[in-house]
Amino acid sequence: MSELTINRLLEALLEGNQSLAVVESRKLLENDVKPERIVTEGIESAMTQLDAKCTVEQFNLLEIMLVGRAVMEVMKVLYPTDGSPPDTKGIVVTGALEGDVHDLGKNILRIVLTAKGYRVVDCGTDCPVEKLIDTAAQEAALTIGVSGLITTVIPQVRQVTAILSERGLGHIKVMAGGAALKQATAESLNVDFVAQTAFDGVHYIDQILEVK
Amino acid sequence: MNSIERINAAVSFETPDRVPVIAQIFGHAAVLTGVALGEYVRDGELLARCQIKALEHYGYDAVFAVMDVNVETEAVGSALEYRVDNYPFVKSYALSEITDLDSLSVPDPYDAGRMPELLKAVTILRREVGDEVLVVGCVLGPITLATQLLGIKKALYLAIDKPESFDRLLDFSTDVIIRFGTAQIEAGAHLPIVFDPSASPAVIPHQFFREFELTRLTRVFASFKKAGAKANWLHIAGPTDPILPYYPQAGVDIANIDYNADPLAAQQVLPKTCIDGNIKPLSFVEATPEEIASESARLLNLFADRGGYILSSGCEIPPESKPESIAAMVSATR
Repeated sequence: MSELTINRLLEALLEGNQSLAVVESRKLLENDVKPERIVTEGIESAMTQLDAKCTVEQFNLLEIMLVGRAVMEVMKVLYPTDGSPPDTKGIVVTGALEGDVHDLGKNILRIVLTAKGYRVVDCGTDCPVEKLIDTAAQEAALTIGVSGLITTVIPQVRQVTAILSERGLGHIKVMAGGAALKQATAESLNVDFVAQTAFDGVHYIDQILEVK
Repeated sequence: MNSIERINAAVSFETPDRVPVIAQIFGHAAVLTGVALGEYVRDGELLARCQIKALEHYGYDAVFAVMDVNVETEAVGSALEYRVDNYPFVKSYALSEITDLDSLSVPDPYDAGRMPELLKAVTILRREVGDEVLVVGCVLGPITLATQLLGIKKALYLAIDKPESFDRLLDFSTDVIIRFGTAQIEAGAHLPIVFDPSASPAVIPHQFFREFELTRLTRVFASFKKAGAKANWLHIAGPTDPILPYYPQAGVDIANIDYNADPLAAQQVLPKTCIDGNIKPLSFVEATPEEIASESARLLNLFADRGGYILSSGCEIPPESKPESIAAMVSATR
């Protein structure tokens, strides 16, 4: 019974049908299926299938936003307190630096990371580099994700790794993404990785965990 | 040939004296002239003066009366925050909910927000360059304006949850665009470029473009031609390969392609449409002039036999770009 319903949840998520996904996840809970299993076999499975579909050429925000919205609604059903599981694979601090007020791409990354079992602490937009680094230090973050839609933030992006090293936080990896930053190389931005899409970013963070 | 004749030749696949070159310079004209970007986007006379100085400096084939992507939404009722050295952004959208749409009206371009300043810039630029150099105005595309009126997240969810309401929002956006673009042509623009980043396949699936955007773009371009536009120029950033086949149907004469679109694939699907692009915008900040010259030569070579080409960047040349790199692109056509 639960397997059948988990498949229904999976289909509802991939369709981006949030109301059906919520109904199916409630049914699963009523049938004593543990939230952890719903996350692993439903949500993570949906994200894996979406990931396989979203190559760089076929990545579009709308489809991911729809699946993401359904995922976040199911998360609220599973974990009513704060919408995320008590256990996390790791913490990722995200932000758009001073002068950049765009947040859609960063929010997509947050959804994908949350669905894949990470906790995201978002510093928002127009964020000073120091605030981003302070937050990463406080949260013992695995990675900092810097988003940039405008090229003028690049000089700030270049500072992040250097400041982390100065403060003895060189173990925190720095990843960049967004329409402007993804045109650059990791070397020129002085970061560890440049993500072409949100899923590309998640793969990188998964790799960091594997190495650890 | 002058610039207009050269561009006309490229659009009609005749042989120009040289390949036209258009540097998509908006805010960079302010930086080059030592003017604060925050002032440039609010003062039509200043904008025109900076554009003329940039034209004199670089000697390319078009000037732009382009402020930023928020002119229409501000005129409709969104509140913006202006910044000294950056483009403004929307603080609160004209629509907090789609149900407010009936309370909005199509703004008068001669009165609303910064629209009159943009028209002033167009008039001055045309007076200065006459029919020697292309004077380009700017409007947003319907989907992009819809996302600028309601916020992109709400607008895209609306398209799925209440498609009939999204249709109404797009129709309203289309009316705003036609009124504003027509006023730009009346003020002296040879054409308004249609800038539609939210219609990119990076944002919406190409089927969604076909179903929601194509008929509206067709209406926009037909209106502009009727008003006297020299050509219809569509600018959609990102990997546009899947939507390029729709461009001729929409009435597009010049198709901008971004750095992540394939020029050869574009040539195949647009055999009779002039193409402009597609140097990576960030390379004008990061690369050397020699690298820009080499990339320009590569593109000129790719289009040498076909023609129907304007050398350009894939998207806006960033304000902080190196002048010598922009000059290298222009020189490549000489």
